[in-house]
Amino acid sequence: MTGWRFYALLAAGLALFPLIFHLPPINGYAGLATEILIVGIAAIGFNLLLGYAGQLSYGHAAFYGLGSYGSGLAVLTFFPHAQSFALALFTGIAIAGIAAAIIGSLVVRLYGIYFALLTVAFAQMVYFIVFQARDLTNGDDGLQGISAPPLNVGFAHVDLGSSLPAFGLGPCGDLSDIKLWYVFAAIVAFLVVAFVRTLVRSEFGEALAAIRENEERSIFIGLDPRRYKLAVFVISGLLCGLSGALHALYQGSAAIEGLSVEQSGAFAIFTIVGGVGTLIGPLVGTGLIMWLENIVGGVFPAWRLVEGLVFVAVVVFLPSGIVGSLLRRRGGRLWLRRLVTAK
Amino acid sequence: MSLESFVQAAINGLILGLIYVAIAIGLTIIFGMLRLVNFAHGAFYAIGAYTGLVVADHLGFFAGVVAAPIVVGMLAFGLDRVLLRSFYGKPPTAQILVTFGIALVVEEALRLIFGGTTRQLAIPDWLNGSIAVAGLQYPAYRIYLAIAIIVVVFAVWFFIERTTYGLIVRAGVRDRVMVQLLGGNVEAASTLIFVLGAALAGLVGVAASPIYSVDPGTGFAFLIPSFVVVVIGGLGSFWGAVVGGIIVGELMSISQVAFPVVSDVIIYVAMALVLLLRPQGLLGESEMIRG
Repeated sequence: MTGWRFYALLAAGLALFPLIFHLPPINGYAGLATEILIVGIAAIGFNLLLGYAGQLSYGHAAFYGLGSYGSGLAVLTFFPHAQSFALALFTGIAIAGIAAAIIGSLVVRLYGIYFALLTVAFAQMVYFIVFQARDLTNGDDGLQGISAPPLNVGFAHVDLGSSLPAFGLGPCGDLSDIKLWYVFAAIVAFLVVAFVRTLVRSEFGEALAAIRENEERSIFIGLDPRRYKLAVFVISGLLCGLSGALHALYQGSAAIEGLSVEQSGAFAIFTIVGGVGTLIGPLVGTGLIMWLENIVGGVFPAWRLVEGLVFVAVVVFLPSGIVGSLLRRRGGRLWLRRLVTAK
Repeated sequence: MSLESFVQAAINGLILGLIYVAIAIGLTIIFGMLRLVNFAHGAFYAIGAYTGLVVADHLGFFAGVVAAPIVVGMLAFGLDRVLLRSFYGKPPTAQILVTFGIALVVEEALRLIFGGTTRQLAIPDWLNGSIAVAGLQYPAYRIYLAIAIIVVVFAVWFFIERTTYGLIVRAGVRDRVMVQLLGGNVEAASTLIFVLGAALAGLVGVAASPIYSVDPGTGFAFLIPSFVVVVIGGLGSFWGAVVGGIIVGELMSISQVAFPVVSDVIIYVAMALVLLLRPQGLLGESEMIRG
């Protein structure tokens, strides 16, 4: 797809999403749409590593959680008087980025299962360190009452909690259902997708593809796989940190569960269901699963059972995910099938 | 820390370690012989524990202990035939994802059937009481459990190393086609290994439930430390799982008494150190694992 068409479709999709999401059979609400985009950014980061560099991390919750705690603590404890949205966001991302650089430099020495298990080990360490640092992090209770400072947009300070102007939209509800938070999250998600698209189409992305296809051969053509793997690991960790930091500011809280193995697994589920190695697959997967959790879960308590079954079915029968299957008509994605399928 | 509390912690660590050994042996033989990374292994433990609870409620403790491995074994047989068969020897990424999905399904199914409450199996009177160990009065059940696990470990070892079935599977890992040409049924033998590993986890599940209570999340709670055990000992190594299990049990138990702050984190530090310094594990054989 050409650049402008892709970006126009992406922008239109992001603009229409909270409206369509509101329609009766879907029954979503704009607040959930915002959360989907925010969490989806972490899935995009996870997918950058798995889909484009072929590395499965089961520890990305560490970076997501550190982003949450970082921005939450910036507001509550580190800089309580600064009241700066950007500073809080930056603190979360920076802590996640530092952790990703340290952990990444160690895990890139290993392959496959050993790589995945080492990411689990480090993520568990982060989990228990945050859990034990009760004075700072409140242990089990997590951080509560993080009130997001207004966003400085140059000429004004904007409160992201304020609503859009009232304007009836028929079955799609009212425009005022949507808060500025959605607009902000959509802009960030758009920029993240554009960044990842540019990255995977660059020479750097070509090198990642070469490493993913055959790491040994990539050495023969003069690449240093460890450096590339470290770089992509840190970038993907930063995206998870961004997602976590936004989530804490949006929800006003940071939970210890955000650092758990289950959270790492959730990023894998979102990505695989949506379509690993596709640009918007992770967003689609996040949307579908979080919709199942919040909307279907309200009427049907066994939603997590459904989620697990959907996930197994996708891994076995639809290994390129929802978006990947739609795209597959256009060209074989052999490596993908090799990565995720058994066939 | 007094000497008495240290000895107490060391014995507790040994019992906990042996429980991990019994879980990890299934995990490691399934990886070593079938080349399957099984994130659903903890789920077998949980199913075993719940089966034991239900059966023991109606037919008594002993029936529960017998029923758990049989039920888990049958489930594993179905799983192997329907789903996992085609994942043996495939890239670990796919295996981790599919078995993680199975584990999720099991956890939620257990929650749906039994609710989220914590449960514990009562020890029957004839196994209750205490025994003097190293000058301490120690719960008899734990001692019996430890002895039973040691017996089972040697039985499994004998089966793998000293019987024709074990030989066929081990040879099948090296050269599948040749073994089949020689008339060995690799398929049946590998199904048996998978069922055996799963049934073992189910047996530990019921046997340990008088000591460690169960809830639907128990599967994951035991899965991750079991992977730590297998990694420390060496993925695929039988005696590695034994050594790793004891190390992990002792680390957890002694650090809980000596340095409670680090007790949760210490096994992951040990796991990371092993992966970085000796990725094949303490007793594992070297293969291509470094990037």
